[in-house]
This record gives sequence, structure tokens and C-alpha cells, in this order.
Amino acid sequence: MLEGSPATITPAPASRQRALAPVPAPRAKPAAGRGQLWLAAHFTRLPLDALLPGTGQARAAVVTALDDPRRAVVACNERATRQGITPGMSLNAALALVPGLRAEEQRHAAEAALLDRLGRWALQFTPVVSLEPPAAVLAEVRGSLDLFGGAMTLVRRALADLSASGLSASLALAPTARGALWLARADLAMTVTRIDAMPGIAARLPLACLQWPADTVATLAGLGIASVADLLRLPRAGFAARFGPQLLDELDEGLGRRPGPRRRHVVPERFDERLDLEDAAETTGGLQPPLERGLARLENFLRARASGISVLRVDLLHRGGAPTRLRVALARTACDAAHLRELLRERLGRCRLALPVVALRLRSGVLLPLRLRDAGLFERGRSANPEATARLLDLLRARLGHEAVFCVLQVAEHRPERAWRIAEPGGTTSLPVPWHAARPARPLWVLAEPQPLENWEGALVTGPERIETGWWDGHDVRRDYYVAISRAGVRLWIFRERPPGQRWFLHGVFG
Amino acid sequence: MSDTLAELLRHPALWRGGSASAPETVPTGFRALDARLPGGGWPLSTLIELLVPTAGVGEIRLLLPALRTLATAEGGKPRWIVWLAPPHLPYAPALADAGLDPAHMLVIRPRAGLDRLWAMEQALRSGACAAVLGWTGTAGDQALRRLKLAAEEGRTPGFLLRPSAHRADCSPAALRLALAARDCGLDIEILKSQGGGPARIERLPIH
Repeated sequence: MLEGSPATITPAPASRQRALAPVPAPRAKPAAGRGQLWLAAHFTRLPLDALLPGTGQARAAVVTALDDPRRAVVACNERATRQGITPGMSLNAALALVPGLRAEEQRHAAEAALLDRLGRWALQFTPVVSLEPPAAVLAEVRGSLDLFGGAMTLVRRALADLSASGLSASLALAPTARGALWLARADLAMTVTRIDAMPGIAARLPLACLQWPADTVATLAGLGIASVADLLRLPRAGFAARFGPQLLDELDEGLGRRPGPRRRHVVPERFDERLDLEDAAETTGGLQPPLERGLARLENFLRARASGISVLRVDLLHRGGAPTRLRVALARTACDAAHLRELLRERLGRCRLALPVVALRLRSGVLLPLRLRDAGLFERGRSANPEATARLLDLLRARLGHEAVFCVLQVAEHRPERAWRIAEPGGTTSLPVPWHAARPARPLWVLAEPQPLENWEGALVTGPERIETGWWDGHDVRRDYYVAISRAGVRLWIFRERPPGQRWFLHGVFG
Repeated sequence: MSDTLAELLRHPALWRGGSASAPETVPTGFRALDARLPGGGWPLSTLIELLVPTAGVGEIRLLLPALRTLATAEGGKPRWIVWLAPPHLPYAPALADAGLDPAHMLVIRPRAGLDRLWAMEQALRSGACAAVLGWTGTAGDQALRRLKLAAEEGRTPGFLLRPSAHRADCSPAALRLALAARDCGLDIEILKSQGGGPARIERLPIH
């Protein structure tokens, strides 16, 4: 039986119990530590708060589901609720109720970002915080109760914080994480402190607060199961066989019959340090010594965490002026100060100081795991070394600018000027274009724009190759291409426009 | 040869051009040219200068077979070939036709002339590239010497493409060729060749 009370375990005859419960019922003793107390915050209007923050009191607004032909309402603000809109309603129905309704499409990325921020907010109460996407945050607060003056004060304080930032949440406290989550979803502002009270309280909850898959809920409804109390009366074995062991485990976790380990929400570390200069630097040369110190600290910081960075921001702070911001992007995750110093030297060489610099600020981007590479014993320097290539790329870009270094890839297109594009070096290898084998040779150099040829003298060698295509996008070409040799002996790729144009153009050089 | 002369020749301080140990090379892909070059191909890890009357006489077609070999030299992993300040943009479909992966052709277009020399030196020194093709324009003897040292340090062949006007200039390049187009072929004059001697090849057929 799902209900783990002693009454249902002990009196049942042994044979009957085996038939009903081949999966042994977990120990009645709570596996989840008796000491835990979880605060669950369920954000009822998270999709709305993520997109339209602080619109609780404004005009009626809803957020609709993504990729849904009905555009069902996912969340609505208070005014919309007062005017009769409920989640699950189609947008058309909602618009019929409130003609001037503001409707936005759900954005999962914004929701995830907001939940991440809420996770950081919850870290003020306890270091043990866990996110429950899409819309809940869990925090283990037993150890913090004394500090915050008891459970009630803590909840009041959290609620005040949330409503001050215009978020609507329902909070609940329970000895298990999942149990607290159920209570919060059911919008029961309850505090359950004793684990043995959980089964009794859970039985009073509606089935919806479990947030199980819709088809499972439908099947259960077909069986006449409408509440958690009904659910707890089902035999364990049959339930596990029919719906899988995960849902049974979820129930056991909620009731404290098995531990429910949770992933901790950890705020990613970053390096952010300010270095004050003893004397204001007038030239970029004066920045080198403090920069060197800062970079050495950054390297230590990164090495201690076996991490690297792909972006470094350096702000040059001036007295009474906006800071000069520099950004160094690396082609490959790196951590060593010497490489960064070299890049910054080139980068600083390009920038002109309008005001003297009084301080520097170094900020890393997100820390990335560093893939360390052994130095080869028989390294001959001729094999492809991805680190060396990335370093070269960084260095060239730091001095010449990002756009000065690129590679060209081919594009499956018959129009010669569109058969290539500029791309990031070292990326994907370009795919072979199917008709290559069949077509005449192409020149190794191409002119950015075909150049008109006036009074040209030379000999045509091969041709014509007729290229007549592209009428569908307004950039159609109608050309006859020839290979020609100029008087200087250079092989050229030239074309003549088809009538009525008839002019000659130079398009490429065979090199 | 008299005994005195033989004795003199054994002197350790005496260096003879012909006896220099053959440099590491990559075949040019043209038998007539290979036969005239010491080591039978383009020397690796040094500076090679190609003088052309005008861009496009066939200098790239001359280099293509070697570039193909260099790009996939070891372990089958493609390596970068740097095109530094080329007179026009390399055309990706033609590169692919020639058997070079366009994704590994690094085009660098610096604005200032000095940046070209700097970028070429960095590319050569890094050892990250299979070959560096540079159109550096005017460059003094000292700048070229730096490039040669960088090529030796990075063990990367550097092909310097310059106008024929620089023919009479003094240059530290290990190999200097003057090219001229003639009848769908290429006249090649070897002006300087470390470990070899001057030579002329007429109408080398390049495709």
C-alpha cells in the first residue's frame, strides 16, 4: 500500500501482502533527515513576471503558451483574473472577455533567468538552495531559523521581499523538499514541522499539486483517483508496474520515506578586482605594472579552480569621466597571464587615453573548465596544435581588430559572387558542393565587385560558360564567362553581360 | 686535386656551399623545378621570396601542390595556411577545387603596412601554420631578416610575394625566384638558392 502507516503494514496476512506489495514498502522510519525543514516558494505567475515585471496592478495582461495553435493562457495578472480570465483559457476566449488585453508569448529563457535570480535571492536565508524548474525555489532553512527569529518571521520576511519586487509567490514549509513543494503548489500557506504529519497532510492535497504528466493524471482520473488521498490507497506494486517506479519514488520522497537528494544551486564564481594606481597613469605604458599584478592574481584564481576564461573585461577608470572599457575575447579557454598580458599590450596599444587612469578593474566572464594538455615528449612542432592556433588568432585580432582576420567558405550557389561567404576561422569544414566536378575551373582570386573592362586587349582562351540564374530574388545574373589572358600574361576570368547589356567585366584572376 | 688543396678543404673553418646538409623540403609538385632546388623542393622553416611582375602570373598555381601537401602534412589533421594581405580575396570554390579546405585558410587583411610585417612575423613564429603567404610590399633588409628568423623559430615556410622591382634588392631569403608568364607557362629564374646555384627554367607548364 502507498499508505505507509503501521495499521496497513502489520495486520495484512503475509500471503496477501506479498501479492499486493512485491516491492517492499520502505521503512516507516523517515529516511529524509529528521532535522530538515524546507521552504518552498512557488511562483504562480512566473511566465508573466519574467516578461512583464511589475504589471500586477496595470491593465489586464496574459502570457500565452508557445507553439500552441489555441495560444492557451499560461499566466495572467490580477486585473485579468478579476475580469474572468483563468489559465488554460484560449487567447480568443480571453480577448472576448477583455478586448484590450495585452498578450505576450511565453519565453522560457526569460523564465529560467528569473528563476536563477530568485535562487540567488534565496541564498540569503541558507546556503542550501535548489531550483525546481519551471517555477519553484527550495531552500533548506532549519539551521537558519534561530537567526531569522523563527519560521513565521522568516516566511513573513521572504514574502515581504517578494511582494516588494512585484512577484507573487506561495510559500510553504515542510520537513521534505517535495512535500514543501506540494504544499506551495496547492497554495496552502502551511508550516509542517513533524515528518510523521506529512502523510496525513498530503492526503488532503489535490492531485494537481503533484504536477504529474497529463496522460498519467488522465489515466488516474479514469480510475476514479481525484486526490492524493485516493492515490495513497492504491497498492504499491500495481502502481509501480503501471506508472513506473519514478512516480512512486516521488511520493515516497514527499512523505519522507526515502531520501530526496537535490542539486544545489551554486552561483557561478567570477573574478572581479579593482587595482588602484599609486600615481595616475597618463600613458598606456604606465598601466603595465599594475596590470601585470592583476593578471597574476587572475591566473592564481583560475588555476586554483582549474578553470579558464574566454572573455576578459578591463575597465580603465578615470577621475571624473566615464571609464574606458576594453574587452578581450579569446579563441580558446585560457588561464595563463602571459598570454593575456600579450593580448592586452596589443589592445592597449590601439587605444588612446583621453584622461589619466587612476584605477583598473579586471573582470572575468563565466569560468569555464580548462582542458589541460600534456606536453608531448616527441613533439616536433609540425602537427596541428589547437592551442598555438588559438593563441595566434587572439594575438592577431587584439592588434588588427576582429574583422581583419577571417576565412572564406563556399556556399552552394551558382552565382559566382554569392558562392562564398566570410566565416569564423577554424570552424566547420565547408561541405562539398554537388555540382563542382562538372563545372569549369574557377579563379583563385575574386574581385569584391566585378570591374568594368574598357578598351581591353587580350585573348580569350576558353568559354563561354553561361551563368543565367537568380531571377527569383531580384539579383539575377545573365552572363557569359570566359578565361582570358591579358597582355601581361595574367589569366583572367571575365564575363560579358548577355543582351541588352553587352558590357565586359573582370571578375577574377587565376593567380 | 692536389694534396694541399684537399688538406685545406678539410679545415673545419672552411664552409662549402655544395656540401651543406640538405634542408628539409616539401616537393613543389613540378619535376623540372624540384630538380633545380637543393633538397628537391621548397625548403621548410625558412623564407622564400617570389618576385612577380604583376599579381596573378601563376604564382599561386605554382605553390598549390606544395600547399596541399603542407596543409595535411601530419596526422591527417588540417593545418592553417595564412594569406596575409593578398591583392584580392581568395575564392573559396576555387580553393575547394584545388583540394584545400577553405575553412583552414586564414585570411588576414591589416590596414597599415607595418602591421603586415608584424602579423607575418607572428604567424611564422607561432608554429601554428602549415605555411604563410605574405604580400608585405615594401620591407627593409632588417624586417626581412626578422621574418626569416621567425620562420626558422616557428619551423614554418614563409612565402613572400613581392613585385619584380625588388629584384636588385639585397634579401636574406633562403630562396629567391623571379617569375614571368609566358605562353600558358611560367619562366622561373632562380636568383638565389642557399645550398644551390642560380638556374633558369623556361615555360614550366602550370595548370
